Amino acid sequence: MSGPDETVTREKGAKRDRLAVLVALLCAAIFGGVYFWSVAGNAQTGSVHDTPRRIRGRVVSRYGPVANARVRIAGDEKYALTDRQGRYELATAHLPAQSLKVTAGKDGWFNNGHLAYPVGRAGDIVLNALPYHDDPAYRFISPVTCARCHNKLAQYWNRSKMAHTTSNPKVLSMYYGTDATGRRGIGPGYRRDNPNDGGNCIVCHAPSVAVSNWPQADLKAALWSPRTEWDGISCDYCHKVRKVIEKRDRPSHMAAVFKRQAAARGNSILVFGPYDDVVNAPMAASYSPVFDQARFCATCHNHFRKLPAGTRWDHRKVYTDAEWKGFGLQAGDTLPVQSTYQEWKLWQSSLPAGDANRGKKCQDCHMSWRKEMLPYDHFVVDGMARNMWGTRRSPRNIRPHHFDGGTATQLKTALSLEIEGQVLGKKLIVKAFVTNTNGGHWVPTGETLRSILLVVKATDSKGRALKMIAGPRLPAWAGRGDPAAGNYAGLPGALFARVLKDRNGNLNVPFWKATAIAFDSRIRPKKTVTREFEFALKNPDDEPTAEARLIYRPAPRPLVRLKNWKAEDILITSNIW
Amino acid sequence: MRRCINRILLAMALLLYFPMQAAAGTITGVVKVNGLRSPADILVFLTHAPAPVLDLPRAHFVMDQRNLTFLPHILPIPVGATVDFPNHDQVAHNVFSLSRTKKFNLGSYKPGMSKSVRFDKPGIVELRCDVHAEMRAYILVMKNPYFAVTDARGRFEIPDPALFQKLGLTKGLAAGKYAVKTWHEKLKSKKQVVTVPAQGALSVQLAVKRGRPGVLYK
Repeated sequence: MSGPDETVTREKGAKRDRLAVLVALLCAAIFGGVYFWSVAGNAQTGSVHDTPRRIRGRVVSRYGPVANARVRIAGDEKYALTDRQGRYELATAHLPAQSLKVTAGKDGWFNNGHLAYPVGRAGDIVLNALPYHDDPAYRFISPVTCARCHNKLAQYWNRSKMAHTTSNPKVLSMYYGTDATGRRGIGPGYRRDNPNDGGNCIVCHAPSVAVSNWPQADLKAALWSPRTEWDGISCDYCHKVRKVIEKRDRPSHMAAVFKRQAAARGNSILVFGPYDDVVNAPMAASYSPVFDQARFCATCHNHFRKLPAGTRWDHRKVYTDAEWKGFGLQAGDTLPVQSTYQEWKLWQSSLPAGDANRGKKCQDCHMSWRKEMLPYDHFVVDGMARNMWGTRRSPRNIRPHHFDGGTATQLKTALSLEIEGQVLGKKLIVKAFVTNTNGGHWVPTGETLRSILLVVKATDSKGRALKMIAGPRLPAWAGRGDPAAGNYAGLPGALFARVLKDRNGNLNVPFWKATAIAFDSRIRPKKTVTREFEFALKNPDDEPTAEARLIYRPAPRPLVRLKNWKAEDILITSNIW
Repeated sequence: MRRCINRILLAMALLLYFPMQAAAGTITGVVKVNGLRSPADILVFLTHAPAPVLDLPRAHFVMDQRNLTFLPHILPIPVGATVDFPNHDQVAHNVFSLSRTKKFNLGSYKPGMSKSVRFDKPGIVELRCDVHAEMRAYILVMKNPYFAVTDARGRFEIPDPALFQKLGLTKGLAAGKYAVKTWHEKLKSKKQVVTVPAQGALSVQLAVKRGRPGVLYK
């Protein structure tokens, strides 16, 4: 039993406790209210968003401050350059509460980063220099490994022509002198004509093998190997390119300089790329500006053949002095078999200052977004990797690796065709205007077997074909036979191609047999080529119709038949007057 | 009192408007398509018709860019009109044309920006984007305002009421003989001669097949 005093004391104690709880709750409510009011107030007025937050810091290395390093908030498009003391200042609209990663990258250094403190400072970002030596014993990793994190990019790449440059049946049949089914001794073949020479095809068609100290230059090395990274131009091969230099003894007059890290240096993979803000643990990434330059593609998209000693050809019959100079060639002892990069360079150098096309490069068209890829990705990594290391980017800052070229999509947009007709007494004059609308190089480009055919047909009002009395006709190698089956030899039309010839005057010979270029009628960037045809009209009062078609042909018809290739024409466009 | 005056004015306006409408002839119809999924976006136009004086600065034609697509796919406009090219996409675009009707290059511009071009010659203008190769659309510069684009069911009406309102035109099509022609990038052009009555609508049915179209004006 408790006494009355004890009861009063207990009641007083309980009252005090309740009061304390009430005071605590009140304080919490006041503080909470003030906090939410301030946050909400700020968010509404936008004072935090509108006033750029400034982040300052330094980029240093073991050798001292790093000047001209590119510093940015990871994923942002804007960046700042460090001064001579390695200092930088970034303005950002990000909220102070956000965890911001400031990253720095510079050509020749590993990228690195540091979290920014809420006060607006970031700790020193320490850059490490790339290893001095390249390790030729490095074993390229398989694209399968890359696909684990870069799933979508690897998918785009896998569907591209880059992925299977070695196992391409046309490449193999031209290399070994077989047909598409592998029968030997059919048509031209590099090894057939040069049994003791492996050639240099491997340099571009199996580049991972070419730079892996493999003793043979034969493509079989790549074909028979279980190493998946050896077929095609793999991810790791390209992303090991440190820079691209001019080297006149190479078929393309350009060479890639590699930097491969020895396994002893750790598990991280040294990769080069266009991003200076990739600082994720699994990759030792290094920013390299060459990935955003056309010269990166030049190592393979040029091919110059030095003619045998004593052989020369007169280039002035085919090219203007400016064009020849643009190819970077001086004497007539070299054949420009493929000159895509030089064609692009020529075009760029011809553009006036301020032209909208100035600065447009290979990557802008051949690594741009396609409708079937939408909605846009905001990350270059997928799945778990995105959750752990993903950096959100603008789609403007992501290059899908589809490398589209020579496809129906690309061709249909590269060229356009317009047609105009005029009846003059008993004549119908037809003019066809072929324009290289979207190609940043001459069209067609690359392999010399490719051509564009313009086929023109005129009919009277009853649908009867009109006879051409003046104008160009398609050559014999446009295919003899039924026009409905794609044989257009002798029909009114024109052909646009770079055609090689040998010392006996044979046309469309493979490059290793060529001693001269017969003609080069390809269409220059943004230029229009006009071809005029004159047809006889029986009745001047008739209403004739003219139709023009523009067709892409991957290889001359006789060679396609001989090699048993599946090389279908692509109808680029057609037009009716 | 004021309400009463307003009502009288409204009645007078209606009285003036409806007889004008009734006096004007119109061509309505349907385009039946063979070889294409949808009969939409087919241009139907009169090859020769009187061209009235147009209030072009009032008209506002827009060729939008969204999700790597030009919208609309075909945009017929009267000659002399200006078209705005806003970029409402997430990536930069570079609209240009090398067509002989109008050559221009707007250069690369970022999302949120817009540029304009005036089209002063009749004909077909093929639009392209220098960055995104598959983007393509057509601006069809017409000699007269008597044109329309078919809806999802292939229906059209000439004069197009929305276009006439945009151009500030009230008068319809005068009675007489006209040639109605179609244009679509994947369909053979069809031409049909029709006689438009002084009053009421003339109904036309046009059947078009897959093929290449001709030029707008021969």
